[in-house]
Amino acid sequence: MSVFDGLKFRKVYSPIHNLDPRMKFVYVCAMFVAAIIFGELIPLIALFLMPIPFVVLAGVQKEWLRSLRGAAFLAGFIFIINVATSFFYSGNVLTAVDVENAAAMTLRFVVLVESFSVFFLTTSPDHLGLALEQSRVPYEFAFAFTTAVRFVPVLAEEAQTIMDAQKARGLELEKGGILKRIRNYVPILIPLIVSAIRRSLELAEAMESRAWGATKKRTNLYALRLRRGDFALLAITVGLLVVAVYVRLYVPIPAVTQFL
Amino acid sequence: MTIIETKNLTYTYPGGTKPSINGVSIKVKKGEFVLITGPSGCGKTTLCRCFNGLVPHFYQGELKGEITVAGMDPTTHETHAMAKSVGLVFQNPENQLFALSVEKDVAFGLENLGMPREEMRERVEWALKLTDIHDLRERSPHEVSGGQQQRVAIAAVLAMQPEIIVLDEPTSFLDPLSAEKIFEVIHELNKEHGITVVLVEHRLDLTAKYADHIIIMDEGKVCFDGNPREILNTEETRLIGVGIPKATLLYHILKKEGLKLGDVTPLSSEEMAKLLQEAFKIK
Repeated sequence: MSVFDGLKFRKVYSPIHNLDPRMKFVYVCAMFVAAIIFGELIPLIALFLMPIPFVVLAGVQKEWLRSLRGAAFLAGFIFIINVATSFFYSGNVLTAVDVENAAAMTLRFVVLVESFSVFFLTTSPDHLGLALEQSRVPYEFAFAFTTAVRFVPVLAEEAQTIMDAQKARGLELEKGGILKRIRNYVPILIPLIVSAIRRSLELAEAMESRAWGATKKRTNLYALRLRRGDFALLAITVGLLVVAVYVRLYVPIPAVTQFL
Repeated sequence: MTIIETKNLTYTYPGGTKPSINGVSIKVKKGEFVLITGPSGCGKTTLCRCFNGLVPHFYQGELKGEITVAGMDPTTHETHAMAKSVGLVFQNPENQLFALSVEKDVAFGLENLGMPREEMRERVEWALKLTDIHDLRERSPHEVSGGQQQRVAIAAVLAMQPEIIVLDEPTSFLDPLSAEKIFEVIHELNKEHGITVVLVEHRLDLTAKYADHIIIMDEGKVCFDGNPREILNTEETRLIGVGIPKATLLYHILKKEGLKLGDVTPLSSEEMAKLLQEAFKIK
């Protein structure tokens, strides 16, 4: 199933993959803040370019471009809505400034998407679970998260098997109007849900048998430790925030249209 | 020394109409390799669940009779307290592994026990080596084959260094070759490390030769209990629906036909071959 391929994480080692996920998360949040405080095109272009070195270092260009392409539709939508509102609002006139503002809004969205995608493309779910645990998130939540990730491909496979079985019995999935098509999926969903519940019972049994809940103070095979790279990222993050706030407060930002 | 003892154990699942196990009294000695077999639905799995307290804690319902496992009473000790002494391996390997790497899965039980990291690492290494999956340590459990998954599950309970390992049809999802490999691992744990093994299995062809003690169940009751060579040689066991090893069946038929064979009932093809060689004096 190609839909679920995107959720499979391959183990890769790169300077970016090895960074502490907590630090990466702080960096993503800083990117968010920076993207929110600017509404002008020029700083947003700068923000857009910023994650590119990370992407190249991590070697995930292809996946990154794919996620951008995924966001393209929504970005186009945002652009059109922005242009249209300013067009009708100012009495059916469209100025270059309006277009620039619309482009800035769109780019803001793209920056949000891209920084998030860098985070998820370079952080293994395992690492993320570990980070959750060490950030004092109750272990039950971290466990639920990693288990969910672990069972996505298993359930996808099972859905495929059920689909094949139901098709073999004469179920036609691609027939009828949209409502009929949705209804066609009921005979697939019900066995899938039933088997997922049965699976969860077996899982619970196995967890119990392996001393789940034996102590409140659970230990972990791995510990996340901040290394040199993490401090470098921290410096970049702080630098980014300081520069962003400074520029916002004291530097007048020219619009692109002024140069035209 | 007796490590598992039950007296008149009877249990009905909540909502069940008749007891799944009915008046089961068995004794397992420390270091034994016990094989439990019988037709599907005869209560083997329920009995296994009693050993570490899943019955009655997880499944509710009332457990009657007496049970002692590794000096503890599973009805009063929680399952997580039993887990240190009794390791349970289930039928479906896929549904007992939950971590994103083999290594983390093996460590899961130890993490739950709150073991210090250094010690935990040693134990994980040891368990991975013993089950021969050391090179899979960074793989995701769903990427490896069924046989390997089941070995991960065994390693995971092994890491807790239990006195008893209970395996509930561990090979029913596996091909014969992977199954054989699993049985070899289990046999080694029993012989080399003195771990008491309780194995629930239909494939007696592959397992009867390892067993010191066999228990045959039917309809929630124990029908036969004792030495595998004596028990598998009787006509009644075959009628219950137990998969008698082919070698034993052959021995039975040839003996009836009047062929002079040794008196020791064979449990594996190798033993049968030896008997035939002796009978025909083939060198």
